[in-house]
Amino acid sequence: MNAALFGHLWRSQRTKLLIVCVAMAAWNVFLPVIYQSFGVQMKSLVDSGIIPKQLTNFGGGDVFSLAGAIALGYVHPISIILVSIFAIGFSTSAVAGERQRGTLEVLLARPLSRAGLYVTLVAAVLLFIALVLVAASIGTIVGSAIVGVLSELSIERLPLLWLNGMLLWGGFAMIGLAASVSFDRLSPALGITVAIVIVSYFLDILGSLWPDAKGLQPYSMFHYLASRDILTGTVDLFGLALLTAIGVIAIGVALVEFPRRDLAAPS
Amino acid sequence: MDALSTVGLTKAYGHRELPIHRLAHRPTGEVRALEDLSIAVAEGEIFGFLGPNGAGKSTTIRLLLGYLHPTAGSARVLGLDIVRDSVAIRSRVGYLPGGIALYDSLSGEHLLDYLGELTGRPSTRRAELLDRLELSARTLERPVRDYSRGMRQKIGIIQALQHDPELAILDEPTEGLDPLMQRAFYAILDDLKAAGRTIFFSSHVLSEVERVCDRVAIVRRGRLVALQDVASLLERRKRNVEIRATDGDLPSLEGVAGVSGLTRTADGRLTCQLEGDVGPFLAAIAGHRITDLTIEPAHLEEAFLELYEDAEAEGDLDPAPSIATAAAAR
Repeated sequence: MNAALFGHLWRSQRTKLLIVCVAMAAWNVFLPVIYQSFGVQMKSLVDSGIIPKQLTNFGGGDVFSLAGAIALGYVHPISIILVSIFAIGFSTSAVAGERQRGTLEVLLARPLSRAGLYVTLVAAVLLFIALVLVAASIGTIVGSAIVGVLSELSIERLPLLWLNGMLLWGGFAMIGLAASVSFDRLSPALGITVAIVIVSYFLDILGSLWPDAKGLQPYSMFHYLASRDILTGTVDLFGLALLTAIGVIAIGVALVEFPRRDLAAPS
Repeated sequence: MDALSTVGLTKAYGHRELPIHRLAHRPTGEVRALEDLSIAVAEGEIFGFLGPNGAGKSTTIRLLLGYLHPTAGSARVLGLDIVRDSVAIRSRVGYLPGGIALYDSLSGEHLLDYLGELTGRPSTRRAELLDRLELSARTLERPVRDYSRGMRQKIGIIQALQHDPELAILDEPTEGLDPLMQRAFYAILDDLKAAGRTIFFSSHVLSEVERVCDRVAIVRRGRLVALQDVASLLERRKRNVEIRATDGDLPSLEGVAGVSGLTRTADGRLTCQLEGDVGPFLAAIAGHRITDLTIEPAHLEEAFLELYEDAEAEGDLDPAPSIATAAAAR
């Protein structure tokens, strides 16, 4: 890992990171508030049959329990967009974006191995995602405290939820980085990574809303983000291992591909 | 010791397509960007590397710095192998890419600090270079995005040379510099040479190669076409001669060594081309009532074009005799 490059990445991203962290924390403050304010009424509506029962299990979350509300927050598009700013945006542009702009020329003219560059980028993106997810946990605690439901929250299980989020988003980030080191332009790297995230999300949501499509869920990485289960005391070790394996495989692909490939002059 | 040497260095594209590339690109046939390049650059030399766009200049530089992997052949930079020791090479080399792209959001000063920090060697020459290229401290405080093309090029030169590298690889270094700054840059090169540094100078601006380089290699379609001292390359070039004499007392230059293309014009002028030693020519015109004599000096540009025409005529299959296959032999 290269300390000078890491420092540069930190300085260039810290303002954006701060904004994303604040937004993520704010969003997660909001979820216990929704649970406290509308949970009972929403449950009455569902029990009355006005709302289809399937809609109460959107991506493994609901608003009838604090754990369900937090789980809903983790798979909500707002959360996904915020984490994706780094897990997808930063990772895919880290190499392909520099290559497209031509600045990779200057960077690789320094005594920096491609593997060293890649490892530094991995460390940076994992740190950024980690901080965004820490902000989510802080928001959850603060929100629960504000509306007086802190006693319902298993704070001791939040680190495990953080780890589950890290493995999911870290996995996507490693896929993004593998795509980034493989292409000369940003668009294919971004396109492939976004497509994987969207298809994965679609399969999980579809399976959660439509019983006949439940069999598709295991093919989605989001399926292994088991927020509600973790907060209620169950841990899916297979899911955690699978997400880890996906990330490790993506790292392996990148570490083989990046040093081997030719970097022709930018067009 | 040679600062840089290549033996049969060859680069072909399209021979190692990886599956992931096929998602976005169709596999292409093999393209030979560089073929069997053998050159040697001595320490302390300013070596010109000439050729038109697509000739293989950038491919060569990218191979030397590890951006590309050679298909065949080998090369050593500062005694280190370009494949095994790429990182070590880049710690001792300064590189100015052609049409350099910089981090626009950084100020000039932060950019130079950052790149210097990545290089890991003190920026001992920075202050001197800033002074000679007339970049003020105030200018350096501004973000790079506000810089003109010339200022960007100056930053590019400084980032390549600020750590006083043993070898500088400069790709079109005067692009965007005004004539005064070009002159300042040439003076910097002279000083670097005097300090024993080696310069590998890629350009298609022949006049500047003629001005600064000791030797020149010319590449075309990925092959070495010529490798010579600039002085001897110019020496063997034909000079354009024009003679006027009173009362038509023009000398007879038929059969004079080195003279060719004799033409008498209707207004009484004699024009010809002169190659090599001027002694026989001067002896032949002595005693005639010459009123005007013009001998245009040979320019590298003409030498360059002639070599290209030679190579074209020979189908570009084999280097011309003057060329050198003696490539490695300086």
